[in-house]
Amino acid sequence: MSKVPKVQTKDQKPKTRRISEDKFAYRTVVISTALSLIFYVISLLFNIEIILIFAGINLIFDIINILVKVIVILLFFLFMMISMGNYKEMTGNPLDWKEILLLFTLSLGQTLLNYIVFTFTLIGLLLILIYLYLVQEK
Amino acid sequence: MKKISYVILSWITIVNLFVVSSLFIINSYGAAEEINAEFGEAPIIDGEIDDSMNEWKNAFKTQVNLTDLPIDLWVMQDSSKLFISVQVDLELSSHNSTEFIGLLISNSSSENQGDFIDAKIVQFSNIQTDEFVYLDYFINNSIFLNDTNYHGEGAGKLDGKVSVYEFTIPIKQSMTNGYEEDAVLEYENSYAFNITYGKIPSYPDGIIKSEIVLINIFEPLVEEQLLVDVILMILIIIVFSIVGILSGYYIYKIFKLKEKMERLRV
Repeated sequence: MSKVPKVQTKDQKPKTRRISEDKFAYRTVVISTALSLIFYVISLLFNIEIILIFAGINLIFDIINILVKVIVILLFFLFMMISMGNYKEMTGNPLDWKEILLLFTLSLGQTLLNYIVFTFTLIGLLLILIYLYLVQEK
Repeated sequence: MKKISYVILSWITIVNLFVVSSLFIINSYGAAEEINAEFGEAPIIDGEIDDSMNEWKNAFKTQVNLTDLPIDLWVMQDSSKLFISVQVDLELSSHNSTEFIGLLISNSSSENQGDFIDAKIVQFSNIQTDEFVYLDYFINNSIFLNDTNYHGEGAGKLDGKVSVYEFTIPIKQSMTNGYEEDAVLEYENSYAFNITYGKIPSYPDGIIKSEIVLINIFEPLVEEQLLVDVILMILIIIVFSIVGILSGYYIYKIFKLKEKMERLRV
C-alpha cells in the first residue's frame, strides 16, 4: 500500500517541472513577440517617416533620428529571434537558417529609405547574429 | 664640337623658356575658377546664414580673390533659382559704411566686357545698421541702367566682422516681364559672373575690386530621383506588410500552440 503513492510522487515531480518549464517558455514567447511587435510599430512610424520628430533640425537631432531607427530595428530583430527560438524549442524543432535569413532580410528591408540607417542596421544585425552564434549551447 | 653643344643647349633653353612662359600667359587670363552649382534647399535671402536650418548646407564653397581681397563664395541652385552668397571678412574698421557687392552677369560663358549685360547689386547705405538696397541693372556699353522690373533678390548684413551678401537669380525664365533686361540663365549652360566689390554707390566707377568666375548650371534630375523614391517607398511598404502578415500568422500559431499544450496537459 505504502509503495504506490511513493512511485506516483516520483513520476509527478518531473511532469510538474516540465509543465512549469513549458509555461515559462510559452510566456517568454508571448512577451518577446509582444515586444517585437511594439518595436515593429515604432519602426514603421519612424522608418516610413510618418513621424518626423528629429529630422532636419540640426546634426545632433539627425544623429538621434538615425540612432532611434537603427536601435528599434535591432530590438525588433532580437526579440523576434528570441520568440521564434523559444517557439521552435517548444515544438521540438531547431530554428533553421532559412527562418533566420527571412527575419534578417525583413529587418534590413525596413531601412530602405535611408542608406546610413541601412549601413548601421546591417552592422548591428551581423553583430547580433555573431553574438547569438557564440552564446548558443554546443 | 664644344661650340655646337653650346648652341644646341642654348636653343633648348630658349625653347623651354618660351613654352613655360606661354603656360603662364594662358593661366593669367580667363575665369579664376569654374564652379558647378550644387543642388540644395533654397535659403532665406536675408543676409543671415542660419546653420540651425542647414542653410547653404549643400552649396559649393570656395575662396576667391577679388584682386587682393579674399572672399568666401558659395554657389547653390534648385530647379528655378541660382543662389550666391559672398562673405567678406575684414576688420570692422576696414568695412566701409557704403560698401557693396555686385554680380555682373554675362549672357554666356564669354568674358568680354560687352557680354556682361546684367548687374545685381546689394548696396549698403549704412552697414552698421544693416541698411541696404537691392539693385538690378541692365548694362549697355558700360552704362548701368535701372531695370524696369527687378528680378531676383539680394540682402546683406554685417555679422561681427564679416559682411554677408546673399543673392538669388531666376533660372530658365521667359523673355517677358522685363527679363529682356536680364541675363537669362538656362540649364546645362555656363555663365561668366564678375563678382565686384566697391565702397561708394557708383557703378561702374565705384567698383574697386573684381574677379570673374564661371558658373555651370544644371538641369534638375527631379523625375529620376522621384522615381527612385517612389520605388523605395513601395518596397519598404511591401516589407512592412510582409512583416505584419507574418506576425499575424505567427501569433495565430502561438495561440494554436497554447491550445495544443492544454490538450496535452489534460
